Amino acid sequence: MNTRYWHAAFVVIATSATTQAVAELDRLEDKDLAEVSGQGGIYLSGDISINEMGGPIENSYFGRCDDPDKKCGARLAYRLKSDGGWMVLDEIQGNFAFEGLTLRVRSIDSGFGGDGELFNRDVMEIGLPDIVRYNDVRFKIAGSNMPRPTDPGFRQTDILAVEMQGDVVMEGNLLVFPTGNP
Amino acid sequence: MFSFLTLRVGRPGFPRILPAIQAVIAVIAAGPANAELQGLSERELAEIDGEGIGVVLENFKFSHGTDVPDAAGNQARIFKIGGLKSTDGREVEIVVNHLYISGNGSNYGQNLSPVNLGRLINPYRIDVVDGNDIGIRDKAVLEFAAPALVDAAQGYDCISAGAAAGSGVCSSRPATAGFVGERPDIGMQMNVAVGDDRSANINIHAKSAVIDGSYLRLWGDDDRQQMVGQFKLNFHTPELSINACSQDGLSCGSRITMTNFALELAIGNQLQPVFFDVDGTGNFVVEVAAIDRPAPGSIGADGLRGSSDAETWDFYEDYYTNLDYRSNLHIGNFSVADRDFGSARVEGMLIQHLEIRTKELAP
Repeated sequence: MNTRYWHAAFVVIATSATTQAVAELDRLEDKDLAEVSGQGGIYLSGDISINEMGGPIENSYFGRCDDPDKKCGARLAYRLKSDGGWMVLDEIQGNFAFEGLTLRVRSIDSGFGGDGELFNRDVMEIGLPDIVRYNDVRFKIAGSNMPRPTDPGFRQTDILAVEMQGDVVMEGNLLVFPTGNP
Repeated sequence: MFSFLTLRVGRPGFPRILPAIQAVIAVIAAGPANAELQGLSERELAEIDGEGIGVVLENFKFSHGTDVPDAAGNQARIFKIGGLKSTDGREVEIVVNHLYISGNGSNYGQNLSPVNLGRLINPYRIDVVDGNDIGIRDKAVLEFAAPALVDAAQGYDCISAGAAAGSGVCSSRPATAGFVGERPDIGMQMNVAVGDDRSANINIHAKSAVIDGSYLRLWGDDDRQQMVGQFKLNFHTPELSINACSQDGLSCGSRITMTNFALELAIGNQLQPVFFDVDGTGNFVVEVAAIDRPAPGSIGADGLRGSSDAETWDFYEDYYTNLDYRSNLHIGNFSVADRDFGSARVEGMLIQHLEIRTKELAP
């Protein structure tokens, strides 16, 4: 076929495709958009484990949690000064579970001791799950001179360790919204 | 760009235009990408005042702790802080028996009820603010803030649990018959074990607590290439009480009660921010640097403005008189059991130099 026909065919296809797209994408005025209201929301149940048995790395420092000579758990190191030492969250491990965390957009125009009426906007509402079950959640806060325990000259001072287990009561709604003047 | 297109359209022959259009589209597409990626100087970045995030907790209730072990020695709930060492090298363990945040009238954590934290029109905020607005020159500052203080005409008295509108500068409202309010009861029970010696249970409770006007600001210091901050804690409560009970909770000592308690603690200010660091041995360091000494001769022998360099004198005058840099503690009445010791005030504390360094005691 002559290349000239190819070009013509391409233009026809391109034009028809464009027409169809225009028909589908009707503009929504701000006013119409303001009336759109999302229905329902999200209901989440979760069970999150962090290095419960030990992490994926096994070397001279990290290993399985049942090995008393090795450390297990995640490690997060961050530096507060360009050539300074490292703050460390170390041996982060455990498991926590919750049932019924909800997520939705909610319009508030009343309540809150009179604040709702003044506020009169939408917020994102995170419904807390009432009970969060902690199973052997542990972490350590430490200071270290090197980011990784396998680095040469590594020294670390554990400042404190936290251990949590059992049901934590956490009821209510967390409301998140932009502040300032949108 | 457009003149190029017109030139081509003027010529006969449709297919010839296509390559030209394609070229133009390519140019247009490439154009905005270049325009978008412009460098921002530190000064320009400091001007950015992004909208922050407001956070309010509605009908909130929190409770966690450590249970007494059952017959088999198992505990359903555990909340421990360990890893500390005493000076003689023994393990120190803090067992938190109960930590709660509750609505008003909790009777020292016995009856938990919901409470709101923060107001929709004055919430807790996480924000990047323009440092020039808060006295930190040409910096973008990350700020975590409790509800801001307001005009006395609209606010509520910070301490009184029956405060009405227009009685003070706090935004959080006390609970009323029909509304939970924004002032939580908070408290904890804990005991400390040093080696095998376990202390009595220590209870600390604050009723109708207000932390309005508190904040934590963080930014970076260019000269020291380090994270710096500024911390302000305003803590008001009509009653802060401390007592100690035996492990089984059957017998308790006298309750130390501090009524109308107000703490305004300022650690770090615009001139002396707090520096955070970890030293070469892995110990944590918090430092408030001393203010620079004036250059020799810039302050007159008599210390008056007339005989001094005016700018230097004004700088030190502001440093020593600015009330924002100072910490205060007011206690309305201090009592132990039924004995009253009256009121206490510590006012105008200025931190001139502070260095806290953790130290490893383990061999």
